Amino acid sequence: MLEITLTKQESHTLIQLDGEVDASNSVELDQAIQEILAAGTKKILVDGSTLNYISSAGLGVFMSYLEDFQDKNIAFVIFGLNDKVQNVFHILGLDQLITIEANQHEALARIYGE
Amino acid sequence: MFRLPNIQLSKITVFLAILTWIGLLLVDLIRVFGTVNEIEVGLDSELTSILEIIFFILLYFFFSQSISRHQNDNFLHLIWRAASTGLIATGVAFSIVSLYVLMEDTALYADPLLRNFFYHVNFALTSLFLISTALLWKHLILYQRNKGVVQQWQAFEIILLVSMFFMLFNKNNFYYGFFFGLTFLIIYSIILSANLKWIPYLTFKEKWKSILFLLIILICTVYLLLQIMDYNIKNPYIIDLIQNLFLLGLFAFVIIYSLFSLLVTLFNLPTSSVFEQKLLEAINFQRLSQSIQPGENEEQVLDILMDSCMSAAYVDGAWLEIMPKGFDPQEIVHQRFISDEERLDVRQIMGRTKPFSDHLGNEKNGKIEYIYGKIPHELYKSALVFPFRVNKKLLGNIFLVKEVKDGFNKEMINIISTFVGQASISVENYRLLNEAIVTERYKEELEIAQRVQRSLLPAELHYNNCFEIAGFSEAADEVGGDYYETYQFDSHNFALIIGDVSGKGTSAAFNMSQMKGIFHSLVQFGLPPKTFLIHANNALSRCLEKNHFITTTYYLLDTASKSIQFARAGHCPTLFYNAALGRSEFLKIKGMGLGMVRNQQYGNFIEEGMLSYAPRDVLVMYTDGIVEAKNQLSEEFGYDQLRIVLNQYNHLSAKEIKEVIIRKVYEFIGKETLPDDDYSLMVIKFIE
Repeated sequence: MLEITLTKQESHTLIQLDGEVDASNSVELDQAIQEILAAGTKKILVDGSTLNYISSAGLGVFMSYLEDFQDKNIAFVIFGLNDKVQNVFHILGLDQLITIEANQHEALARIYGE
Repeated sequence: MFRLPNIQLSKITVFLAILTWIGLLLVDLIRVFGTVNEIEVGLDSELTSILEIIFFILLYFFFSQSISRHQNDNFLHLIWRAASTGLIATGVAFSIVSLYVLMEDTALYADPLLRNFFYHVNFALTSLFLISTALLWKHLILYQRNKGVVQQWQAFEIILLVSMFFMLFNKNNFYYGFFFGLTFLIIYSIILSANLKWIPYLTFKEKWKSILFLLIILICTVYLLLQIMDYNIKNPYIIDLIQNLFLLGLFAFVIIYSLFSLLVTLFNLPTSSVFEQKLLEAINFQRLSQSIQPGENEEQVLDILMDSCMSAAYVDGAWLEIMPKGFDPQEIVHQRFISDEERLDVRQIMGRTKPFSDHLGNEKNGKIEYIYGKIPHELYKSALVFPFRVNKKLLGNIFLVKEVKDGFNKEMINIISTFVGQASISVENYRLLNEAIVTERYKEELEIAQRVQRSLLPAELHYNNCFEIAGFSEAADEVGGDYYETYQFDSHNFALIIGDVSGKGTSAAFNMSQMKGIFHSLVQFGLPPKTFLIHANNALSRCLEKNHFITTTYYLLDTASKSIQFARAGHCPTLFYNAALGRSEFLKIKGMGLGMVRNQQYGNFIEEGMLSYAPRDVLVMYTDGIVEAKNQLSEEFGYDQLRIVLNQYNHLSAKEIKEVIIRKVYEFIGKETLPDDDYSLMVIKFIE
């Protein structure tokens, strides 16, 4: 079960992920990111505080957009991951490619502070 | 027991019957001769009666045999058989009369013996005709037999038998007993004649024919009766064979049944078409339910459906409008008895006439079973529209139009509704069958894929006497994305690899086979683990899909120096049990999945680890399916539990450790839960 909530704020878009991302629903996550990119947002925040599990297919979705984010100069920050999910990112090495912050406050500071 | 063949039996019966008749003739001629010449010949009337009875019984036996052989002939054929026999008997009787007219002036005319001879010929043919016809009527009466009718007929046969012997006691006189018997037979014949169930099954044409044949039978029977009575009245020296309850009873039965059949058939003529219609509907219904055989298509069902609907409601014009599929335009199929021009005209009128306009404009209305109403068209006055649905989806609309006002009654609508329902079931079944065939084929393909993929995992792993090794892999779907393999460089040097392809199922399986190819092409160069991963990443970056990656750990094992050199490409950290310390730990080094950074930067994310081992140390390589295995409460097996299991069971052999871990994982997820990821495991236990 995965619920994706998109919230557009001042100059960034917040993606809230609630539940589990696996092979069956990773397409939904992909569509959500595509939508945001199409809207031309330059700053994307992912709230993963209620994300219980992410499979390799879900990680693959984030990975596939890394190049796009770099090319289009988009700031992409994930925050609030629990230890287990954070560990999954870490083992794969994805934490070296994506900015991961502890909470929303720090995440906002990261995208606006610089 | 000895049994005579049937044909021979009937031949013998005929022979005996002829013999009996000749005997009867001779006895009677002698009796007449005696009477004429007033000589006592010593033969009395009992002998005549007994021979007569034997003759009847033989005929009855012969015909009941021969007719039951033709039991399945159609009714018309049976009636024709009776009529033709009647015509022959009548023809012979008529010839005899004509002969007598010709020889009116000769001496023979008055000869009582010759007259008696012809009388016997007439008698034989009449009996033959009556008995055969009665037995043919039996078949008509017993059509759609039930117990009651069969008993009725059996009773009739017994009564006839009794009536044969009646003349033995009655001495051929018109007593009250005889009169009473005849009346009883007539009444019983009337009761039997109520069994006319065969008539409705005749078609209109057949009914006309049967009326003609029945008329012939009636005329023949009456003629023969009159003719034989004529002999009795006109000739003083005739031996009376007719004053006989059996024969007169048969006359009565044949005449009454023929008359009833004739009248009922005649009165059935006007309603015949209705019955034929119903029969046609029943047949159409059956055709609809059986029409789609493998290899045929839906067209055939629609064709039968349209024909059935049209004939059920005497429709003047009809067509079927198939709903547009995707970008295809609306299609008109099975247009009957109506020109394109008229159809377009009618359709346009319906498009703006209530109640049709409501439904035809709104295709989503799934509840309407049919729409019926008047239309203001110059030729067609009433119309009926039946939506045809398959799997609750509207496939099309059936349009039926008639030139009369209020042309569709409730009966017609009901029957059409049944037809439409049956056709829809037929089409649904046909589609389901096709889907099942396709699914079956997919399943076979998957089985082949599974076999091929199983063969990609090594059946045996390389080892020497310094270590034991055991491997295991189980896919959640038919095919999986886990991979492990070993390679031996020389007696002391080995390469080991374990990997996991992102995603699962078929796409993962394809990528896994690529990984195997890369392993085999790179391993022979003996590259250090980090270099190996950089090359592998290079190769995979060109062929993996954008959102796919592979995690793997590559090990070089040297049993001479007791060392392991390894690098981790985003794969789960290896679990290592250190026997000297008495505990196990995960070998955490920096790493990055293959295909995640598709450029020269990749090397920057990879670290290379080095490890020295001692005997009794254990190395556990596994995929994330193991640690992420979930139980019913959605809890994961987890890294800690894996470590605890190894701490506890490290003293076992490699194979046993592998089995313990697998058992623990399965115990954890429980029997109710199906594994949702691939599990793979490779355990090494160092011996020296």
